[in-house]
Amino acid sequence: MTTVTTDNRFDHPFGCEIDLEQLTELLDASASWESKNRLLVQLSKQLPDWQSHFKIPTLKVAGCESQVWLDVKPSDSGWRLAADSDSRIVKGLLALVLCAFNQKNNQEIDAFDFEDWLNQRGMQRFLSASRGNGLRAITQEIKRKTQP
Amino acid sequence: MFDVVAANFDPITCRAQFPIFANHPDLVYLDNAATTQKPRMVLDAERYYYEHQNANVHRGAHRLAVAATDAFEEARATIANFINAQSADEIIFTRGTTEAINLIANTYGQNLQAGDEIIVSTLEHHANIVPWQMLAQRSGAQIRQLHLTAAGEVDLNQLEELLLNNKAKLLAISHASNAIGSIQNIKKICDLSHKYYCHVLVDGAQAIAHLQVDVQDLDCDFYVFSAHKAYGPTGIGAAFIRAAILEDLPPWQGGGEMIDRVSFSGTTYAPAPQRLEAGTPAISQAVGFAAAVNWLSQQDRSAIWAYESALHQQLEHGLRQIEQVNIHGQAKSKVSLSSMTFNGAHHYDVAQFLDERGIAVRTGHHCAQPLIHQLGLTGTLRVSLALYNTTDDVQRFLSALSETLEILR
Repeated sequence: MTTVTTDNRFDHPFGCEIDLEQLTELLDASASWESKNRLLVQLSKQLPDWQSHFKIPTLKVAGCESQVWLDVKPSDSGWRLAADSDSRIVKGLLALVLCAFNQKNNQEIDAFDFEDWLNQRGMQRFLSASRGNGLRAITQEIKRKTQP
Repeated sequence: MFDVVAANFDPITCRAQFPIFANHPDLVYLDNAATTQKPRMVLDAERYYYEHQNANVHRGAHRLAVAATDAFEEARATIANFINAQSADEIIFTRGTTEAINLIANTYGQNLQAGDEIIVSTLEHHANIVPWQMLAQRSGAQIRQLHLTAAGEVDLNQLEELLLNNKAKLLAISHASNAIGSIQNIKKICDLSHKYYCHVLVDGAQAIAHLQVDVQDLDCDFYVFSAHKAYGPTGIGAAFIRAAILEDLPPWQGGGEMIDRVSFSGTTYAPAPQRLEAGTPAISQAVGFAAAVNWLSQQDRSAIWAYESALHQQLEHGLRQIEQVNIHGQAKSKVSLSSMTFNGAHHYDVAQFLDERGIAVRTGHHCAQPLIHQLGLTGTLRVSLALYNTTDDVQRFLSALSETLEILR
């Protein structure tokens, strides 16, 4: 039996073809919570599902209600980021996170306040105590993994 | 079609007594296993206490102190009566179920030593697992796991096997599971355990609002529950401890109220229940707790059970019509809650979409990770019904669920 080990985890449009400005417009145009959630579900579909052998404990982010995996690798154009979750809404939120941090260098990653950006989009509820701890853990993990 | 009607119980009149629904007219509240809403009578009782009786208890040099003490001790008698304890002294007020279990682990648990065993069922909430693990670490006693049948009931044959060596000093078991709703046959479990001189602690947190509990009939040694899951205030609960056991229990927290005489050469302690209630208790909450059980006692409890069961049947029937739904827990007898997962959709996502439509449900492992892992899951979506829920609530949930699963498909 052969196992397919192609790694397409980093092949996604967030932070390259789709930038934060475009997402800001899309989110700001979604008036209701249901439309915001629907948008997150749509975005999640553009983020590749990780093959199960990549979902190892060292890539798992603690503190999320659903399961989240995160990987980073350096490249000439900045840090490349990949992420997956078993929840579509969380995966949609991960797409936002990737838009903010993918292909950026250390200084840009360190300087960007993702929570503030999310707050400005009226998305505070994703940062509330029960839901936000997970998202906060993800951004902290990105900053930790990409610092020299 | 379901005929969700129970003689002697009118859910609409009942619902009108809960101010939360007037403040949130469109709310479909289906997270009752986490906490219930409170009837006006409970809110009024706490307010009345503060406006008319507020003082500290058991220090009765003035009329308010006497009134507060009377109100507090009347509350204890009310709770005792509600579960048919032999005496009010068998009721210890705690912050809730969790503290009640910790109290018993820290007092009764002092009798345990290396070689003793504590039987804990797989169904248990973390509050009925972790205090026993901590006790096992301190005492050298060993935890034995009581497994479940495929339907989600405890395996009575295995229980007897665990008891045969006569090493088990305590069995910790929930009356009803918070994660899958199974009701255990506590009377039979107590009979069996007592044959082998094993005491039984029953976690009644999920049972108390639904079942009529009679601790003498169940013949359990300990019965613990929280007020807030039975229409009462948060921050208070009770431990029923059988008098014969209670007499010998040592104190576990030191402070005011629990002493007889204190001097630097030594201290003697008050009799139970005061010995186990150090410090100023949750007085207004105790008054609210008593108001809640009085309110519940005024209802026709068997009519409520019939109503909740019919509503639950409507829910599970509706769920079975939706192809993507898997219901977990098939016990013959369940309280009115259903735990479910979905093919092709994550329970967390479903709950988020339901929330947008004003439908409150719970997702996660429900603080019962061993059970959820045994089911091979990472979590479920839980719908738990209470007496103020209506057929309309269930229908709105089922329609919103179908639509949500379409969106997430």
